Amino acid sequence: MECMIATEQEAIFRRWLGDHLGLMLKVVRGCAATPPDQEDLFQEVSLAVWSSIPSFRGEARETTWIYRVAFNTALTWQRGERRRRVRHETFLKFEMPSPPAAGPAEPPPGQEIVERLYTAIRQLPKVDASLALMHLDGLSYREMAEVAGISENYIGVKLNRIRQQLAEQLKGAKHEL
Amino acid sequence: MNFEDLQKTWQAQDASSKITLNADLLLREVRRNQQCFLATIFRRDVVEVTTCLLLAVLFTVWGLRWHWWSLELLAGCCLFVGGFFVVDRRCQRQRQPACTDTLEACLASSLQQVNHQIWLLKNIFWWYLLPLLIGLSAVVVNLLWTQHKAGQDAATLFSLGATYIIVYSVVFGVVYWANQYAVRKQLTPRQQELADLLASLQ
Repeated sequence: MECMIATEQEAIFRRWLGDHLGLMLKVVRGCAATPPDQEDLFQEVSLAVWSSIPSFRGEARETTWIYRVAFNTALTWQRGERRRRVRHETFLKFEMPSPPAAGPAEPPPGQEIVERLYTAIRQLPKVDASLALMHLDGLSYREMAEVAGISENYIGVKLNRIRQQLAEQLKGAKHEL
Repeated sequence: MNFEDLQKTWQAQDASSKITLNADLLLREVRRNQQCFLATIFRRDVVEVTTCLLLAVLFTVWGLRWHWWSLELLAGCCLFVGGFFVVDRRCQRQRQPACTDTLEACLASSLQQVNHQIWLLKNIFWWYLLPLLIGLSAVVVNLLWTQHKAGQDAATLFSLGATYIIVYSVVFGVVYWANQYAVRKQLTPRQQELADLLASLQ
């Protein structure tokens, strides 16, 4: 597998991008606040996912694998550190929610909550943010333990604390967690 | 809204609808960046080792031609520094953090890498400055001795020696200070950040 041919690697990368782009973007948006940082981190994550393909043996689920690669990259990523990359063209454009042209237009249902959640998640310590993202995505304790390398019991303890912190952050929205 | 509702709302979001992605361009960028990264690492290693080797060869040739034992010693010191670079890089490459490890393992190896980098820069005097100090001092002593035997007056010899000491102290002092500055301003905060992240998982 280590000497995987480039076309095979490319095919897997394209498939993963198609199937798990949403997951990668959630990690990126949960860990970086501004569009330039998000674009920067997205490229780091993409590069890490690309490099990880030859080591993927199918023992873990693709989702778990990509979470692990993405979080490892995001946790060790340093804002503004661009030593490895040279970018020529923009391959990713983030469309920020545009302000209403006239009148108090309602945002699409759930969008406001999701945006508030992203903001709240970014306030958490990085490790807690990664657990919160996986929890919200519905991963089981076992899967989270696999990604983080800690016990399921400890995941449970941490998630209780994280829920409380998120509840504090979202107090204005009167969410009961 | 309870957590389950929040989870449903979260999972219903289509994160990818907010972006425009050019997959072909991304793939090209990823490939180019990986090649660029590998090329940069390779180039850095080659430059460091080649410089040491070239200097060692140069000093050896000069030493043999002029029968100066001190130049042979300086060549040996250059080889030591180059050898240290190679051995250290090889050892560290085997301990590189892998993004496919668990978060805990990846953070632990990243922290180990930063710790090593700090150790390396804090001890730069022993593995980089001292060997060069020994080699260069030997050459200067050798030069002064040769001049003395050729009948050069003491004042000139003294001023030559003093110039060497001043130049060496300034240049190597700046190198030492710059490295300690990097440890304080960049590596120590990074070490603390990684240690905190790791502690939050333990």
